[in-house]
Amino acid sequence: MILKTTEIGSTTQATILTQEANLLHAEMFKEEMITIIANGAKLVIVSFENVNYIDSSFLGSLVVALKYAMPRNVDIYLVSLKPDVKNLLTLIRMDKVFKIFKDYGQAMETLNS
Amino acid sequence: MNQNPDQFQFIFNSQDEEIQDVLDRCQQYINQNAGKNSVESALLSKIKWVITELLTNAVKHSETSECLLLMSLKNGQLIIEKQDNGNPLTLYHPAKETKIIWPLHPGKTIEDFQIYHNGMDSLMVHIENDNLATFYTEELPESYMPALLLDTSEHFGLLIITKASDTFIYQYIREENLNKFQVCFNVNT
Repeated sequence: MILKTTEIGSTTQATILTQEANLLHAEMFKEEMITIIANGAKLVIVSFENVNYIDSSFLGSLVVALKYAMPRNVDIYLVSLKPDVKNLLTLIRMDKVFKIFKDYGQAMETLNS
Repeated sequence: MNQNPDQFQFIFNSQDEEIQDVLDRCQQYINQNAGKNSVESALLSKIKWVITELLTNAVKHSETSECLLLMSLKNGQLIIEKQDNGNPLTLYHPAKETKIIWPLHPGKTIEDFQIYHNGMDSLMVHIENDNLATFYTEELPESYMPALLLDTSEHFGLLIITKASDTFIYQYIREENLNKFQVCFNVNT
């Protein structure tokens, strides 16, 4: 298991447990994300609070999860990105396709607005 | 590990579990050899990204049990090279709908072509000769919805290496069946 999840209504908060989001964990992350979406979540908020480093394989899994989510009208938000992780997402423009928030609280506020 | 301060050498056994250990050793080498101008953290992160992607590429694509990682830091220039005897570079040429596989036929001319784009960056390759290719990116006019989601191919790694570094080349040494991926950073700029 790579995600610790909490369900709040139709929103699932999913915290990545590993510090290194890399090739070693990419496949499991993709499978767990797809399971969350298939189980009916309408919004998945992925927290990177533990992640110090991310690589292309894990980013690929993130994009696969988003591609699975979009036709099902499911949103994926990213929160609590450390500067290194955020910078890599920005480098390959992934900040343009994911909604990024400071933390769970800020992401949850969008549900009330 | 080679103790020559001008060059760090490390054999990587193409196991993803070993990547972190190699990264730690590389960082140690850089810190020890950067001199009085220490490498700033943003650049160190880019170096880390590049090494990770080179090694990940070895695990995923080279189909060989080991590769050699070389690193030298001299005169403000950091050169990182990954060498292996595994599968040579193969790129898909979208416009010609064909695979470009090294070694190319001597004298064969292929114009620069786009390997991948995400709607905002175009990852290009320039083929100098039958043994040498240079990767570079071109910025595209920003689109509303990046094409990032259209192609989840293996090109994130190449894109990261190309954008994070100052130069990124691939060389195929025919006589030795050797692949060389060489990345260069200007450290003291």
